[in-house]
Amino acid sequence: MIRALLYLRGYSLLNLLRTRAQRLRQPKYLLGLGAGILYFWFFFFRHLPGGAGLDRGSGVDPLQFIFAAFAVLGLIRIGSAWLAPTPRPSLDFSEAEIAFLFPAPATRRQLVHFKLVGTQITILLSALILTVLTQRGAALGGNAVTHAIGWWLMLSLAHLHNLGAAFTVARLVEGGMSRARRQLIVGGVIFAVIAGIAWGAWTSAPDATAWMSAWQEQNTGDRLGTAVLAAYVREVSGTGIIGWLLLPFRVALAPFFAPDVAAFLRALGPALLLLAAHYFWVMRNAVSFEEASIAAAEKRALLVAKLQAGQRPLSTGAPKPRKPPFPLRPGGGWPEIAFLWKNLLSTHPWLGPRALGPATLVTLALASLVSPRLWFIPIIAAVYFVLLGPQLARQDLRTDLVNADLLKSYPLPGWRIVLGQLLAPTAILSGLLWLALLALFVTSGRTNSAPAWLTVEFRLSGLVCLALLIPPVCLLQLLVPNAGAVLFPSWAMAGRQTRGGGGIEVMGQRLIFVAGQMLVLLAAVLPAGGFAVLAGFAASLAYSPAAAFLTGSAMFLLALAAEIAAGIYWLGHRFEQFDLSAESVK
Amino acid sequence: MIEVEGLTKRYGDFTAVSQLSFTVRPGEVLGLVGPNGAGKTSTLRSVAGIIPPNGGSIRIAGIDLVADPVEAKRRLAFFPDEPRLFEYLTVSQHLAFVARIYGVTDHDELAAPLLEELELANKADALPGELSRGMKQKLAIACGLLHSPAVMFFDEPLTGLDPLGIRRMKDSILRRAREGCTIVLSSHLLHLLEEVCSHVLILKQGTKIADGTIAEVSAQFANGETDVSLEEIFMRATGGSES
Repeated sequence: MIRALLYLRGYSLLNLLRTRAQRLRQPKYLLGLGAGILYFWFFFFRHLPGGAGLDRGSGVDPLQFIFAAFAVLGLIRIGSAWLAPTPRPSLDFSEAEIAFLFPAPATRRQLVHFKLVGTQITILLSALILTVLTQRGAALGGNAVTHAIGWWLMLSLAHLHNLGAAFTVARLVEGGMSRARRQLIVGGVIFAVIAGIAWGAWTSAPDATAWMSAWQEQNTGDRLGTAVLAAYVREVSGTGIIGWLLLPFRVALAPFFAPDVAAFLRALGPALLLLAAHYFWVMRNAVSFEEASIAAAEKRALLVAKLQAGQRPLSTGAPKPRKPPFPLRPGGGWPEIAFLWKNLLSTHPWLGPRALGPATLVTLALASLVSPRLWFIPIIAAVYFVLLGPQLARQDLRTDLVNADLLKSYPLPGWRIVLGQLLAPTAILSGLLWLALLALFVTSGRTNSAPAWLTVEFRLSGLVCLALLIPPVCLLQLLVPNAGAVLFPSWAMAGRQTRGGGGIEVMGQRLIFVAGQMLVLLAAVLPAGGFAVLAGFAASLAYSPAAAFLTGSAMFLLALAAEIAAGIYWLGHRFEQFDLSAESVK
Repeated sequence: MIEVEGLTKRYGDFTAVSQLSFTVRPGEVLGLVGPNGAGKTSTLRSVAGIIPPNGGSIRIAGIDLVADPVEAKRRLAFFPDEPRLFEYLTVSQHLAFVARIYGVTDHDELAAPLLEELELANKADALPGELSRGMKQKLAIACGLLHSPAVMFFDEPLTGLDPLGIRRMKDSILRRAREGCTIVLSSHLLHLLEEVCSHVLILKQGTKIADGTIAEVSAQFANGETDVSLEEIFMRATGGSES
């Protein structure tokens, strides 16, 4: 049986790799792979030994904080595995695995083995990625191989421990132990361990101040004292009763933190023994996991279906009916308004038009009360909305691409559908930017150190002009990713795939996509900006800075409007020709 | 009325539908049948104006679909195999949205009886997530019927419905046909098609194998036998295989 399971694992992996290799024949995936590899090389691999790495000398090592955070999270995870385990232990089987393997003549032990082998593939990949990530600037000692094995050991132990804890708790529950009694015993053990550590630190730890001073005399350069603190913690954790209480953790971590190969080999034996002990513990305690695994697989399948249907994957529970953002009259022309209404209805009510009044009052109050020295905060917010807003506000064609057939059956030309779809995110982003602009206007009026040219007239004309410019700029920005979704639907849909759809090439595709968006946006804004500057300059010579603002803005608005109109019309035509099924058969 | 002449649909090098011609008159129900990959869905999506054909002409209620798609679409309704609904719109909000899109000014007078007829009146404020598969199908139908289309396309309309739902769907299709609608539907459930369709069109590898009333097509493949079922006709016409 185990040979059949290994066959399934092996060939699934092989076929996955083969499929990935085959799709590289499509230029979009090949380009994506190139971009993905370049990204990884630029951000990670070039820092590996031999590359132009960061300074590995003394000083603040941020990885010590990261490791400390990992250690704390790991301890919390282990504690929660005992104190608050899942009601029924489950293993991560897919629906197909359940359909084929659960009715098959396989023992429970064989199924656990199958899952453990499958998990090892994930753990090995994770260990590899973590090794690459933690090579940056870490003064850890050892080398990439010892770190990779160290990570593999730590991740494997964590996985086996959680599984063993879940099985053991389930076995205790099956044996009649109540939840309260179990928590009392486990809580008591954890309390005893913590008390033992505290007692050990109190009685046998060296004096912290003296020890750190002595350490700093020998090791210079640790300006913030992080290394000395870490060294002190290492010293304390290895002495007296604390050393014994933390022995399993020390054994598990020792290979990773070994300073050289000899120390690594010495640490490897005990760590492997600990791993073997965990394995036997898991196999000995394996209890019924089938029912919970089926439920977990169904939940995962639902999540995948939601992702593929373009729905919110992280929504907790079923959505609730919402009050429409405004009354929608059935007739009256302008069917685009129906799309605005529908898409606003699909988002949070606090992003709708009813929230604009209260939000304006709150903004005015805040801008009037806070220190005028904080005038830059609205600018930071505005930059954030401009740069990231179009990626976050997706109540448009990107979300509705799965309903393309339905949209195309409506008696509307493509440009009206596109325009309608763009209205909701444009309204949301415009509202947010207007609030930021209002806040900037109020705070800039309260500062005492304003330059002479920043008159009330100038600020008012600036407020009006920028307020008028915001919606078309948002519309233009949103046009670009929506055009991307129609022109390259498989790229836009890639984010909805979870099994077998990802990979470096898909990540690279997204990078190219975002870079393309920025370029197109720049190409659209630059000519309009050029017109605006020329017209504004001429007006400033003839009249005043405020007039320059008005004239420049008007020119910018006109140029943008022409570009947007052309863009929407063109995209509408492409949407009429769009066929998602043709994309999926390639 | 639907008039299709020389319809061709290609995906890259692959020809899904080749030189297909047929006519469906008001009151007729045409059953589009064929093995998997025969081009049924591509045909339906092309004649409903969802995907552009590569060749041929399509006229919906006398209007050229390629030349004037907006006017042609005002007269048709397309019902996909899987009801496509908006997750955050309630049943009544779906109808309000569709009314605005199609410019149905008397929406209130039409929507209420439609919901009553489709037994959705007590679910008016429910979201699609709260509806069963059959109810979702009904909501999609209600949305499609709101603008009183003259031509209807159903892609696998009976998929996922329970026996009662199948019966009601059949009755609904037959009633619309009696009222003068032109209907095309595709399905693999041949015995059910036999009960609903007045005409049948058999496709294989994108080309037409047979077209006509069920009696005419039966006669073509019956080899002199009587009481030959549509299933048997289908097997004989297609050779019992996909390729």
